[in-house]
Amino acid sequence: MGKESSDKSDSVSSRKLVLPGDLLETKSKPGRGIFRRDGKVHASVLGYSSDQSGYMNVNAITGGYTPKVGDKIVAICVETGPSVWRMDIGAAFNSTLHHSESGWKVPFGDTARFLTIGDAIWAEVFMVDAAGSHQISLKKDDCRKLYSGTIVKIGPTNVPRVIGKQGSMITAIREKTQTRILIGQNGHIWIDGKGKDIATAQKAIEMIDNEANSKGLTKKIEKLLEK
Amino acid sequence: MAGQTDMKLIKDGVRLDGRKADELREVKIVAGVLDNANGSCYLEWGNNKVYAGVFGPMECHPRHKQKADRAIVQARYTMAPFSVNDRKRPGYDRRSSEISYIVSQAFEKVVMVEEFPKASIRVDMQVVEAHAGTRCAALTAASVALADAGIPMRDMIPSCAAGKVNDVVVLDLNKEEDNYGQADLPLAIIPSTGEIVLLQLDGHLTPDEFEQALDLATSGCMDLYKKMRLALENRYGGSA
Amino acid sequence: MSNDSVSNLMRGHMESLAKEGKRADGRGINEFRKVTIETGMLNTAEGSAMVHLGNTKVLCGIKMLIGTPYGDSPGSGTMMTSTELAPLADQSFDPGPPREQSIELSRVVDRGIRESRMIDFEGLCIEHGEKVWTVFIDLHILDNGGNLFDCCTLAAAAALSNTKIPNVQHGVADKDVDLPIACWPISCTFGKLGDSIILDPTSDEEEVMSARFTVAHDENGNLRAAQKGMNGAFTDAEIREAVKTARTSDKVLREALKGIQG
Repeated sequence: MGKESSDKSDSVSSRKLVLPGDLLETKSKPGRGIFRRDGKVHASVLGYSSDQSGYMNVNAITGGYTPKVGDKIVAICVETGPSVWRMDIGAAFNSTLHHSESGWKVPFGDTARFLTIGDAIWAEVFMVDAAGSHQISLKKDDCRKLYSGTIVKIGPTNVPRVIGKQGSMITAIREKTQTRILIGQNGHIWIDGKGKDIATAQKAIEMIDNEANSKGLTKKIEKLLEK
Repeated sequence: MAGQTDMKLIKDGVRLDGRKADELREVKIVAGVLDNANGSCYLEWGNNKVYAGVFGPMECHPRHKQKADRAIVQARYTMAPFSVNDRKRPGYDRRSSEISYIVSQAFEKVVMVEEFPKASIRVDMQVVEAHAGTRCAALTAASVALADAGIPMRDMIPSCAAGKVNDVVVLDLNKEEDNYGQADLPLAIIPSTGEIVLLQLDGHLTPDEFEQALDLATSGCMDLYKKMRLALENRYGGSA
Repeated sequence: MSNDSVSNLMRGHMESLAKEGKRADGRGINEFRKVTIETGMLNTAEGSAMVHLGNTKVLCGIKMLIGTPYGDSPGSGTMMTSTELAPLADQSFDPGPPREQSIELSRVVDRGIRESRMIDFEGLCIEHGEKVWTVFIDLHILDNGGNLFDCCTLAAAAALSNTKIPNVQHGVADKDVDLPIACWPISCTFGKLGDSIILDPTSDEEEVMSARFTVAHDENGNLRAAQKGMNGAFTDAEIREAVKTARTSDKVLREALKGIQG
């Protein structure tokens, strides 16, 4: 679970809301969410600017998922082909799971027997090319098909908030609801446990997604989990 | 545009609705009003009421419209049947088609389409009440919706019109002024560079009047831009 | 977030929750989501209403124009219902000609109002055989969070409740009067999820349910309209039970409607 600590431990003072086009005064190298014009750096998305570790980034507050190699994600099958599966990972385009990356011995044309439309998996993004198409793999670490529980979809920009500082938020949710939870970087979250407990965990996660920017959210979640 | 008219639309610098020549109607902007859309905006401008919603970037449909090296912006402007006093038949007409097209063109200039090859960004603008200046209201609302959706852009696009009534150049025509006035000039600009991404003119303007109208519409756009920023800051909590 | 793909896991989870009388959003199986109604906000319409049912948002505008009566009812006004699935309401609402879904929705809402005799059409006659009022009910879907049927029916009823006949503008009389309403049909839509019947489905639930049943009652508890949709089936007992449930569950919508009638 090494990826589970949030980098939202930026000091509050370095976070400033910026809008597309805003000029960013910085000597740092340009990072995410920015564009350059006439040698100056401007924000390209609605987000919080963060001038850290020599990079000027704007962390988007909203927006879809952009796959990065190494991301662990929850993916849902939307189409089966003779040697691949097409998977919804919440990105602009669907991803591909090639039979050679599934870890199964799949006879040609028999893919649906292993994974069919609507089935979900815990996988890793292993290839993103220059044209923006991407592939995922089931062969890494603890990647596997998911057989029980449910999936909740939230905005990928709110994933750090669900994880919390050093994983504090997600640990609290897991412990209080006695559920197993896998958080995909793509905002697809798998929850498993008893029906009622899943519902509580889902409610907490959805509350974070809906109210990520409001004050007092942590207290609200604590109250919800106590019930 | 009626051109010459006996109607007194402005007298001693005061218009029929009480505004001065360089005054905008009241504008209210709320960002993030819809749950399904990736980004959205509700905008009231005088009696105009517009909803804008954005989806994407997503796979481009129909396939043949896809561009190999960038995304396309598919903007669509529609007026609800009850948005005008004389009920408008539901469905797409040529005016809506034209406005949709020029709005798409305006956004293709600022949206960073190079970041999403083969994708489509869908912008939908629904006018539910119309009182002149709906294309400006729709474009402005759509800009806020795009920012709300986290779509990377070089800037937002405010849009405002200027015109001429009773030989006086005025800002932001209302319905009577649009019907009985002498000129209507909708404009949309990129605030950080001053570039013009939309400009149309109906009616009659002398070269001097044109310069005046352009100045007035530009200042209207900049005022509007402040309100657009405020709407997003209100939605996302301002400085952290 | 996009509801494009609903996993089989979600289906299984919702079905097992429903067996215990619960839903993914914490509601009971016979509970409506939160409903809010606002009326009279559009100046260009003779009547208007905005209804929020959970995340579903529908705006209804009523326009009244003078038209000619149908040959077989020369003393009655006429009505027409249209629904616009605005593309901003749902990623899957492509612009273009109305899909079957939209047409079914229009027609069910239309029948609920027309066949229930909600509008007193005889009261809309201007000149027998020559001139009558036509009531245009235009529903604009702004956000599809599921259960468009009930949200649209409620929005139409709320909009009609504040509609004034534009006599003055059209030179018919010297005063605008309220549109004459004879009864108030309220609809309840159920979905079949596994072996359970749930009321007021969300869009996620609509993706996994196998059949849909809508029934409208008036304020006296009499049935006014019904429609079964989708390709699954209900048992006889399930339909009877749903109809019974509707008569008590619709109270919350009826009260919301009463609340704005002032």
